[in-house]
Amino acid sequence: MSAFILKVEKLCLSYSGFMAVDNVTFQVARNTIHSIIGPNGAGKTSLFHCLTGARRPTSGYVEFDGREITREPTHKRVSAGMARSFQITSLFQNLTVRENLRLASQGRDGDGALTFWRSAFARREHIEVADAVMERLGLTKRADAAAGGLPHGQQRILELGMALCGRPRLLLLDEPTAGMGVEDIPLMTRLIAELGKEYSVMLIEHNMGIVMSISDVITVMSQGGILVEGKPEVIRADARVREAYLGDAA
Amino acid sequence: MLKDSELLGGTTPVVAIALVLLPVVLPSAALATEILIFALAALACNLLLGYGGLLSFGQGIFFGAGAYLASLAMIHAGAGFLTALATAALSGTLIAAVVGALAIRRTGIYFVMMTLAFNQTAYFIAYTLDEWTGGENGLLDVPRPPLALFGATLADLGSPMSYYVFVAVVFLLIFVATKRVIASPFGSTLIAIRDNEARADAVGYNTKHFKIVAFAVSGAITALAGALYAMLLNFAPLENIQMSENIVILTVIGGTGSLLGSLLGAGSWVIISDMFAEVWPRWLIVMGGALILVVLFLRGGIWGGIESLAERISSKKGKPG
Repeated sequence: MSAFILKVEKLCLSYSGFMAVDNVTFQVARNTIHSIIGPNGAGKTSLFHCLTGARRPTSGYVEFDGREITREPTHKRVSAGMARSFQITSLFQNLTVRENLRLASQGRDGDGALTFWRSAFARREHIEVADAVMERLGLTKRADAAAGGLPHGQQRILELGMALCGRPRLLLLDEPTAGMGVEDIPLMTRLIAELGKEYSVMLIEHNMGIVMSISDVITVMSQGGILVEGKPEVIRADARVREAYLGDAA
Repeated sequence: MLKDSELLGGTTPVVAIALVLLPVVLPSAALATEILIFALAALACNLLLGYGGLLSFGQGIFFGAGAYLASLAMIHAGAGFLTALATAALSGTLIAAVVGALAIRRTGIYFVMMTLAFNQTAYFIAYTLDEWTGGENGLLDVPRPPLALFGATLADLGSPMSYYVFVAVVFLLIFVATKRVIASPFGSTLIAIRDNEARADAVGYNTKHFKIVAFAVSGAITALAGALYAMLLNFAPLENIQMSENIVILTVIGGTGSLLGSLLGAGSWVIISDMFAEVWPRWLIVMGGALILVVLFLRGGIWGGIESLAERISSKKGKPG
């Protein structure tokens, strides 16, 4: 087994000539938190889209857990052990918290869930996964509330929980703290740090405090390409990064 | 969210009671039968629209196909009653799977237009194949053979009442089976796709497969309804294929997302048309008005209205003093 869960080589994504992702090469080590940072429009979310299968890369190569997945559709990547959370909260708004998580867990079955002659509750393991994730995220009290009715901070946490329910080996988190109140951020930070010990985590995040405190490796993107990559202290000290991104605040 | 215990509880006893009362209350058993046939078609439409969020104007294809193919199987191949129904259900499944698979390649309004286009195509195919379908005149002299299994006659369905009893049993079975489908892994995923398709995709579902299966199940039930309709009328009219709008309208009036709503929608439709059709040829205006009212003020349809009324009453009772 390779030490790397994800290998990306010379990945490009062009939108009618504009290179959103430009010749990106990097690797994500197992059970680490690998953050992607960069100014708006640097290509972070486009890169995520290529990794999750939401967009087909124009060229390049993506290997997940020793298997090429460059052109595989999203649902196949999920059953291989990849899960994502969305930058803009994307839940089953009208369904309960428990049902959201149960459905996320059941998603691992893929077409197995086409079963229409049996009760959905016959598969206990999905309810158990949902309950365990709810417990961990502190959402148990809200189990029967509609997801759309939760406060924003809890919706962000549920969004993360949806990704966890797929029992992934690689979690792709797109700005998990986006729009969260200051008071909710420490909880989310602690959660992600914990998850980094059990899973491999790729994180897009704007909050420098979080990125610097929990990342094992940081990749800085700028204009579609990679500017520099290294440990948090290296990134913090890098003059190019300070100039391109961190500005005077760093 | 449906629970297991609700399969035979909840709305099921209500339906069972309604099935017993219908022929007693209504002037004829044939009228009651017609209600159940359209309720079946609405139930199938509801599965797509209310649970899958798929507005299909192609339901008439499956209804018409069921009527024609069951009739042709009896007329030309000497098929018995159950064989004819099985032929209809099976062909409905296949046709709906193909139509669905092609139509869901687009979403939103383009998907709806695709189902409409298929419906028009089916209409003209049936019109052109008049040697088989009778064209504009419809397929005449459709028999209603006795209910027989392995050569043994179980019941003669010649009288309107005995035919009603058979259709009522079929309706109850399909009602319970559809409840099971909705509370299954498949059904719960279908609801999830309606709610947020991008997320359903992201958690691992191939949403296209789920939509195609939804079409196939819906097609089977609709075609079965079509076959039962042909045997009720002893006639398979070309207009069956143009039934799509009616099926959608009575589903919406009854209430999407509630199976009991489909029975209410079909019931009010058939009863109102029976009451008005004789005295006022423009009775469809009433249904048009009803549709506008439901869409504007009663988004859950008749059933949704009853539910919110019941909630209001019980919450008033619950208040102290």
